[in-house]
Amino acid sequence: MNTLTGNITSVETNGSLSLVKVTVGTNEVIAIVIDTPETAPFLTTENNVKVIFKETEVVLATSEYDGISMQNQLSGVIEAIEQGVLLSKVVVQTDTTSISSIITTKALKKLNLKVGSQATALIKTNEIMLSE
Amino acid sequence: MIAISVQKQLLSGGGEMSLDVSLNFKRGSFTAVKGKSGVGKTSLLRMIAGLMTPDKGKIKVFNETWFNSWSKENLSIQKRSLGYVFQDYALFPNMSVFENLKFALHKTDDKQIVNDILEVMELGSLQHVKPDKLSGGQKQRVALARALVRKPEILLLDEPLAALDVEIRQKLQDYIVDAHKEFDLTTVMVTHDTGEILRMADKLVIIENGKVIKQGSPSTILAQRSISGKFQFTGEVISIETEDVVNIVSVLVGNELIKVVVDQNETSTLSIGDKVLVASKAFNPIIQKI
Repeated sequence: MNTLTGNITSVETNGSLSLVKVTVGTNEVIAIVIDTPETAPFLTTENNVKVIFKETEVVLATSEYDGISMQNQLSGVIEAIEQGVLLSKVVVQTDTTSISSIITTKALKKLNLKVGSQATALIKTNEIMLSE
Repeated sequence: MIAISVQKQLLSGGGEMSLDVSLNFKRGSFTAVKGKSGVGKTSLLRMIAGLMTPDKGKIKVFNETWFNSWSKENLSIQKRSLGYVFQDYALFPNMSVFENLKFALHKTDDKQIVNDILEVMELGSLQHVKPDKLSGGQKQRVALARALVRKPEILLLDEPLAALDVEIRQKLQDYIVDAHKEFDLTTVMVTHDTGEILRMADKLVIIENGKVIKQGSPSTILAQRSISGKFQFTGEVISIETEDVVNIVSVLVGNELIKVVVDQNETSTLSIGDKVLVASKAFNPIIQKI
């Protein structure tokens, strides 16, 4: 589980859904949640929140992409790799935080990911949970 | 409706404490009472049972006054229609299961009820056995059966399953819920176990320092609303297996076994038997009609 902390910069609500922008260091993370500031009072601008997502939901790329629907793209340098038979864990150090990703070992080899190489972590907005 | 409003000065571990509790229980309801030790949970049950006299207050059970400090009414324990089960089974060691149950009856009561209850509690084959030959779970089943032979209106349970292991506890939970429904009981149970509360009770009361601080639906009170994932369950860790760079944690949620892939760093703080919150986003699960 990746847990980052940041401050809410905006909350856009429509019906029972909210799109919440959170500033984490110099990065911006966007989450969509089935909550509104009425149902979850902690969803207010400037509030400090935890941004939670699973390692298994983090996609890795060798650079940032424009032609992709994933809005959360956090770039950094690979800090550690733990290689397993089918699955491997890759830790990407961004400017303020490290993000773990679990990908297949095949993908690790195909992308030729090494400790010290550049990598971008991509996370879908609907995979991110927010917590007080 | 059972209406209780009692006050009593108590001596607890931290000195003197004033218990001041007002509660209503609907007929047929199953209420769990939770709180730290020494906050007055057991004293509350003892006052309902007539084993402890409140300093002030009223206890009214379906239009019958059991206690009223102003009109000086105090119904004797024998006349209060209730069953009481403690954590230690308090069975008579020199009597068989059948005799333990029969002893709880009044002379005028129909003896047939003993056989009926032995059947409901599946104790028929053990009826001639003495308590020292029974397992903890069986003893507690006998204690529960004995509490039911007088067909009480109220069943009071004081951490009845705390001394039993997980598997037996779940079976006993089913027996208690079945008995609660079968005999149309109004049940009040003191417990610390979150899973037990969610599985058995329809109302939860939380007591702190002799006062009721929260009451309402167990899932609302116990659910952690501070995390935005809408797919939330509480369960118990059954096993932790290592696969490659991850661990697979099996969690018993209600009667269903689910599996969660967890990073190995996180499982270092988890042990088998731990109560856990399992949360996911509402966007992930799929629904299929069966």
